[in-house]
Amino acid sequence: MEKRKKVIAFFKELGFEFDISRFDDRLIAQKLVCLLELRGIDLGYSCSLYVRGPYSPDLTQDLYAFTNEFENLETGSRLNTLEKEAAGELGRIFGLKPVPLEVGATYGYYALRQNSDPLEASRQVKRLKPFYSEAQIALGISKAKQFLYKPTQKDLEELKKETGIWQRASLKTLEH
Amino acid sequence: MQNDILSILNESEGLNAKVFSLVRLKLLASLATLGPDGATYRELKAALDINDGVLFANLNVLKDMGYLTSEKITSEGKELELYSITTEGQDEWKRTKTWLCRFLHCGA
Repeated sequence: MEKRKKVIAFFKELGFEFDISRFDDRLIAQKLVCLLELRGIDLGYSCSLYVRGPYSPDLTQDLYAFTNEFENLETGSRLNTLEKEAAGELGRIFGLKPVPLEVGATYGYYALRQNSDPLEASRQVKRLKPFYSEAQIALGISKAKQFLYKPTQKDLEELKKETGIWQRASLKTLEH
Repeated sequence: MQNDILSILNESEGLNAKVFSLVRLKLLASLATLGPDGATYRELKAALDINDGVLFANLNVLKDMGYLTSEKITSEGKELELYSITTEGQDEWKRTKTWLCRFLHCGA
């Protein structure tokens, strides 16, 4: 099956009604695909860094060549459990909002593909997207971390240790 | 196609000499990969690190030559200027790139 069919299945799952004439829709399509690729889902559209940030010219080509299929969500492809889970999280964390998606994908690209440390990755996002406010960048980065990084067992234990004291205190308060 | 340097240099006569400035080459190379999707003025300015005066002037030269088009678009409620490459621009960029590769012996 053609690779675009899987992307259309993701659009369908996300409730994304793509309209090629809208700049924001083309941007959302690009960043959704790049974020999913960064998460390890192989859609066959590899993203590299262009003036628009992480971007797939192959996807652009298909969006214009098969516009009807994308706009009418024509696909025979189905998402497996893992893909459905990723789509669910992507929708819940980012929504279909262009700015967080763009900032998040750019941060993810620097952090994961170019192995930049978090500080350097943030710096690069600010350099490439200086037209976004500090707050927009911070929000996009935080969403990218939520979507792209799964906490390890060690992270969870440390979090439990850190918050345990507060949880116990609040339980005690309830006793009174 | 001959490979002696004189032939390669003479092939450049088929190219548009006005394209040969670093800023214009950067703009054509950037926009050629994006095709009809294009890029906004602010994206080009930030990514290519070109100041407003130089960027605006060179975008206009490329537009006047028929290599770029621009249109007003709205993104997140903001009005932006979107630049995209035309078919003539793509053709000129391909010719320029092919010639540069031959000139620099990079295998094109």
